[in-house]
Amino acid sequence: MSELLRVRHLTTSFMTGAGLARAVDDVSLTLLEGETLGMVGESGCGKTVTALSLLRLVDRPGHIAHESVIEYQGKDLMQMSPAQLRQIRGAEIAMIFQEPTASLNPVLTVGAQVDEAVRAHRSVSRADARARTVELFELVGIPDPAKRVNEYPHQLSGGMQQRAMIAMALSCNPRILIADEPTTALDVTIQAQILELLVELKQRLGMAMILITHDLGIVAGVADRVAVMYGGQIVEQANTDALFRQPAHPYTSALLRAVPRLDQPATRLATIPGAVPPATAWPPACRFHPRCPQTMDHCKSEMPGLTETGPAHLTRCWLAEEQHRRDA
Amino acid sequence: MKSVPTPLLSVRHLVKQYRATGGLLSRPAPLLAVSDVSFDLAYGESLGLVGESGSGKTTLARLILRLTEATAGSVRFDGIDVLDLDARSLRALRRRIQIVFQDPFGSLNPRMSVGAAVREPIEVHNIARGAAAVEKVTQLFQEVGLDPSYVDRYPHELSGGQRQRVGIARALSVEPDLLVLDEPVSALDVSVQAQVLNLLLDLRERRGLTYLFIAHDLAVVRHIAQRIIVMYAGRFVETAPAAQAYSEPLHPYTRSLLSAVPVPDPRGQRQRIVLKGDMPDPRHTPAGCVFHPRCPHLKKDDRCRTEVPLLREAAEGRKVACHWFEEPMTVPQSQAARHVN
Repeated sequence: MSELLRVRHLTTSFMTGAGLARAVDDVSLTLLEGETLGMVGESGCGKTVTALSLLRLVDRPGHIAHESVIEYQGKDLMQMSPAQLRQIRGAEIAMIFQEPTASLNPVLTVGAQVDEAVRAHRSVSRADARARTVELFELVGIPDPAKRVNEYPHQLSGGMQQRAMIAMALSCNPRILIADEPTTALDVTIQAQILELLVELKQRLGMAMILITHDLGIVAGVADRVAVMYGGQIVEQANTDALFRQPAHPYTSALLRAVPRLDQPATRLATIPGAVPPATAWPPACRFHPRCPQTMDHCKSEMPGLTETGPAHLTRCWLAEEQHRRDA
Repeated sequence: MKSVPTPLLSVRHLVKQYRATGGLLSRPAPLLAVSDVSFDLAYGESLGLVGESGSGKTTLARLILRLTEATAGSVRFDGIDVLDLDARSLRALRRRIQIVFQDPFGSLNPRMSVGAAVREPIEVHNIARGAAAVEKVTQLFQEVGLDPSYVDRYPHELSGGQRQRVGIARALSVEPDLLVLDEPVSALDVSVQAQVLNLLLDLRERRGLTYLFIAHDLAVVRHIAQRIIVMYAGRFVETAPAAQAYSEPLHPYTRSLLSAVPVPDPRGQRQRIVLKGDMPDPRHTPAGCVFHPRCPHLKKDDRCRTEVPLLREAAEGRKVACHWFEEPMTVPQSQAARHVN
């Protein structure tokens, strides 16, 4: 599979009242054609800012460092003019967000909003745009699409609103869909519907997907590869199976043990002491060291790099690196 | 386990109906938020109330606390008829029933230090004053795992997990018997959620508290509750000891709900029952079984569309509201695996 998206040294910072926040710090990742990359982490780890940065949707006081490279099919988005960027956004790379209610205009019918997206990138008549919208509604499983296009957002349930957002995102057949917590605001039975829909559409349309979520269960079921973020950095990246079977970073394994789950006995949960630090005050050296159960002296003095600790398995941890070297 | 002789809380035929206003042209239809529910909560028990948004679980909690007035039915707390109390007696009762909300940021006064927030109910209920009250705040902070030096901080200076600990300390400050926990960990990150859940487990054991734990997350409830009630569209559809409800759910809704919970194990992916559609509009609940339009049960028939299934005994300590729960409910592969509406 060929590389669709290649990101190198992506760094996004915000000037805040409390000082400079390096929300995303030197993130490098690759998205292959047709694959689903899961990005997991807790609030404030930088996963959403990473997603927004990929489309250069970060406004002042945010700033994407000039050294960052965001290559889509060999073309660097960082070097593009606003007009060139508009050719990419929506048409090649589309995005859906957590709260469909917040993304939809309440005073326009959902159909009109999808028509607009269709016409943004193609010169088609109103009638043709509407026909495409009805087709898209059908594609995303909105029942009675010819009628629903004329409804306003508040007339649709949360699940149906999210389907309308997906329809809008798919309007120009994007190659990449970035889904930022697409099911977090939804109930569990509706979440299951939307996840099924995303997986099916991805296969049918041959898209690649970046799925951002805090829910390890969702990644386990949907992603081919997973990147775990902590403190604005990727701390571990591996194929989904390897990540869940053999997590190499202490944060990943601690997180997996802290999740209440239905498939194991209901024993007392393991916890991670402390809380996620704010982006204005990342701890020095390894950012997880103040909460890590296996901290060594080295962890407090020098930041570990993201190094290979297994086949296609990258980990940002001195201990994992040392263990890998010993095993090799 | 038969019902305990005198339950701490006894709810009978509780109903909450809202008089909904109609649209410009439509006729107003009453909205049934809670529809004739009954249950007992034993001393020291931990009961989980689960359901999705709009199932009526929060309304039910508010009715018990009389934060919302019930339309019909009765609530007895330790023998006291709660719905009949005047304002003064109600205030005395509130000392014994406390509630912890989902968003501690929304339930704490931003201009009051967290120490003062915990101290306030102690003084309002005349439990202690002055230095004794301060001492009690210190003890409570320690008990919930907060550094007592934080008493002078304001809510915005604390993390979400710390704020929820303050919310818990405040609820405990009046030494209640019953703690109603309404989605207490839903707003917290996984790593912090586990800390708060463990704290709640410890507190219950140490203080012999009774919990009514409301949550939409079935995996979370499993760690706290001994018994669970599943709500759907204002009704109880299943009640059972937690272990059985999770290992062998009987109601088709409970089964679907459990199967929809994502499992953090790529190799342990189970067959999912993906329900069609949404929960019904509470103003136009379907006739017969409220769940029938989405029900994947194979035996579904006319009875489901016309006759409301009663919550009936299925086994020792288990009740189910389904006409067909005795029948095996295997879902055909095609239906389970794929769903496009």
